[in-house]
Amino acid sequence: MIRRHPILSVVALLVILLLAWAWPNRAHLAAFPDIIGAYTAKEYCSCRYVSGNPAAYCEGYVKQYVPISSLLDDASAKRVTASGLGRTHSAVWLGERQGCQLLPNE
Amino acid sequence: MSTSLLRRLSLALGFSLAASTALAENWPQPDWQSQPRVESAALAELEHYAFPERNDAERTGVRTDALLVIRDGQIVYERYAEPTTVQTAHLSWSMAKSLLASTLGVAYGEGRFRLDAPAAQYYPAMAEHPQIKIGHLLNWASGLAWEEDYEYAPLKSSVVAMLYTRGRADMAAFTAAHAADAAPGTRFRYSSGDSNVLAAALRGMVGEPAYADYPWTALFEPLGITRAVWERDASGTFIASSYAYMTARDLARVGLLMQRGGRWGERQLLPAAWVDFVSTPFASYQPQLAKPGDAVPGGHWWLNAELPGSARPWPDAPADTIAALGHWGQGLYVMPEEKLVVVRYADDRDGSFQHNELLKRVQAAFATEVQP
Repeated sequence: MIRRHPILSVVALLVILLLAWAWPNRAHLAAFPDIIGAYTAKEYCSCRYVSGNPAAYCEGYVKQYVPISSLLDDASAKRVTASGLGRTHSAVWLGERQGCQLLPNE
Repeated sequence: MSTSLLRRLSLALGFSLAASTALAENWPQPDWQSQPRVESAALAELEHYAFPERNDAERTGVRTDALLVIRDGQIVYERYAEPTTVQTAHLSWSMAKSLLASTLGVAYGEGRFRLDAPAAQYYPAMAEHPQIKIGHLLNWASGLAWEEDYEYAPLKSSVVAMLYTRGRADMAAFTAAHAADAAPGTRFRYSSGDSNVLAAALRGMVGEPAYADYPWTALFEPLGITRAVWERDASGTFIASSYAYMTARDLARVGLLMQRGGRWGERQLLPAAWVDFVSTPFASYQPQLAKPGDAVPGGHWWLNAELPGSARPWPDAPADTIAALGHWGQGLYVMPEEKLVVVRYADDRDGSFQHNELLKRVQAAFATEVQP
């Protein structure tokens, strides 16, 4: 098998190693794509509505090495929605003392 | 008017003047008083370090948003970088942990809890960890298997999962669900989870009705802090690890409280025993495992303590310096002997900022000569 299909054997070994690593890390891997959208929504909301910084500044402030696909700031509701890596999250400003909070996943 | 009456009056006046001079302390009541700016080479050196030309494109280098220096209760230096102003409630990041310690200090003075009581007594979700005490959590020594990493190792970071994904609905419960991998009180491991368990325990200490306003009624209002924000998770628990916001001038009030041993005006707001506890190094801390410049953990405050077999973390700052420190360069530094309080808000995205370099220059510019 190894002699007849050397490339296939290497690929099979790599897949087995990858699965062996991924299985114990499955909870971390499942949540990983959520980080960028949630981070961006929450920190932008607080930057804008708690600290009162200008929108252009907050856009730069939340920039990370993982790109986001959209950032929506509903100023009338003080609600910020951000998408990245296929996941979307929102944060909303609740009040003078409470500041912003991430909303539960829809 | 007889001369004896005059003499008595002048004597009384003299005594009261002497008494009020002895008690004369500057407090920001209601607002801070400012000393006029005095130019010096040392001040230029400080500004050169703290406010170099700001790199907003690559976000490299020292990027100070606000720098405020208080000497003996009066502002001696204050500067902001756009868009941060004197009015901006700036994000604290982990300086919130030390604000929690001060809030807990008031509750401690009210007899609401004991440091050697199990956390589970105030927060039932900790029932799985009956040996973890309030004091252990304050020393970041819960023994829970926590991973505190931010943007450089986000996959397995407990703190990123807590703040943004799997833990965000109930951060204390997320932390309490972690397994232990050391006995409580034996190992320092910096953990934002420990802080949020403490924030949940505070609810059990003061009761649900008082909890939502407790940081304001206990700490902020007595200090004259009118515009503080402290964000909560969806379960209503304060995110004590990360998310408090206040102006630089208001954060400096907490610094002055610590500089004066927990006393605010006539009132001992934090018991002296509490101030002692938070400014005492965690007994099992092993400085040889720390990176150079890493401060020594106390009770949710950082210390510049000189431990046996190890140098002071910040060699140019006094050994009694205590600090609240946060991600991306946030710092509240208190130097009681020098009567200095320094607030620094920042957006440092690389590791170039050094606490020691800042404090060295602040002292050179503002420390008063010690009178013999």
